[in-house]
Amino acid sequence: MSDNKLLGPDEAEFAKPLFVPIKRRSFFMYAGATAGATALLLAGCDDDDDDTDTPSGTVSLGSGDVGVLNYAYALEQLEAAFYAQVIATPYTGITTEERTALTAIARHEAIHRDFFKAAITAAAPTQIIGGLTPDFSKVTFTDRNSVLMTAKTFEDLGVAAYNGAGSLIKTNDYLLIAGKIVSVEARHAAYIRDLLSNGSFADSTVVNAQGLDQALTVSQVLAAAQPFIKDKINGDNVGK
Amino acid sequence: MNLFQIIREIEKVDPEIMDRLTHRRSALTALGDISKKMALAAAPIAIGSAFNKAMGQQTLNSVNDVLNYALLLEYLEEDFYAQALAAPTLAANLSAGSPALGAIQTIKAHETAHVALLKGALGANANPRPSSFNFGTAFATYASFLTFAQAFEDTGVRAYKGQATKIKDAGNPNNLLTIALQIHSVEARHASHVRYMRRAAPAGSIAQYGWVTNAEANGAPAAVYGAGNPAATFPAESNLVQGGLTLTSVGGNTYTAAEVSEAFDEGLDNTTVVAIARSAATF
Repeated sequence: MSDNKLLGPDEAEFAKPLFVPIKRRSFFMYAGATAGATALLLAGCDDDDDDTDTPSGTVSLGSGDVGVLNYAYALEQLEAAFYAQVIATPYTGITTEERTALTAIARHEAIHRDFFKAAITAAAPTQIIGGLTPDFSKVTFTDRNSVLMTAKTFEDLGVAAYNGAGSLIKTNDYLLIAGKIVSVEARHAAYIRDLLSNGSFADSTVVNAQGLDQALTVSQVLAAAQPFIKDKINGDNVGK
Repeated sequence: MNLFQIIREIEKVDPEIMDRLTHRRSALTALGDISKKMALAAAPIAIGSAFNKAMGQQTLNSVNDVLNYALLLEYLEEDFYAQALAAPTLAANLSAGSPALGAIQTIKAHETAHVALLKGALGANANPRPSSFNFGTAFATYASFLTFAQAFEDTGVRAYKGQATKIKDAGNPNNLLTIALQIHSVEARHASHVRYMRRAAPAGSIAQYGWVTNAEANGAPAAVYGAGNPAATFPAESNLVQGGLTLTSVGGNTYTAAEVSEAFDEGLDNTTVVAIARSAATF
């Protein structure tokens, strides 16, 4: 990818906010162990995940456009599993409006996940990755701040991932579909951010002085997402 | 909305549009002034059917055309927010230190940055800023201002999305595709927040979220959420089919039409976008 100039010196800054909440919440790793374990059990029921595992236990996303589609499918699986758990075990003090909105977001992410699964199955049935096993052990699902900070991380990461992957896509139909999804992720991101702090929908941690949202490389995104996924993901050939 | 200006604009890409409207035009010519006003009230229906035929094309032929098109939209948005921030009628709602003022200042700053970025990318090829934008009664009330803002932001999202493949097909010079996508998602963040502001508005609260449900306009021009052309590429926001899959039933799960429509935003061709802009502003 030739977007190094865009990311350039800010790369470290971009990556930082994605990790800060995790560290800050490490305290909750223990407090939230029960909720986390529940999440894992539920998520584990999803699908078998060993059909495309390499012998070493690593899930390869593959190459070319299929790699990009698997990359998106992996991220949507993560988001869908997260919001499903948020809705199954709502945080303390959730308002009616928040529950309605988060339920809508959960449905959107589930639709994205199911869409990619069906689309990849149709286009490249032998190359689709299996169901991933999320790791939400660092999330305290009873705690509003923990849930919304994680949601913010996922939504901002999703936006940055699609923005960065657009130029890797070779097929116009896929590019247009990625564009149709990324703006919805951005709408989610703005809403979640406003719930955390009204007016932070597009603050300087995600939109730079040129008025540009983040665009991250596959490796940057996977590094940020990996702590939330038990399977080791390899995206080295995505788009190539 | 200025129908005749729209027709003039469409004539540039579709010289035959007046032929399709001829019976309407001769009717207008033949009628007296009072009758003309009455006829005009019915005109949007005739215009609407003519649009369907007229907007059969994306008309931007080069990356510079795409960038100048984006620049025009950013000029419009920047000016819109600048006028809003200066409007006495909005001062009570956009008061010093208020979240509303902060949000509009943030959005305005981004539009200004987008103008600078696009002008920089175009260099000597940048089109000049139109001499003025007249937004009519947009700033008469806070509710009206937010409705216009939603229309512009949601249209902006659709506009950038509609040009992604154009930039790609031109070879993605200077990785402009990534930059366009980075602007595109910022516009979506704006749209989401403006929708949230309307939901939270003290008067005339709109029961909507940051995403687009079906093709509900909630006071914005219906065309903002309608189909572009070709409709197969640029369907209305109520579209349920992606990649040939009808997503109300997929992967063994069922979803409502509202949920599916919300999960995907749709692109729009440049001719439809400019017509929408000219229906909301004179420039």
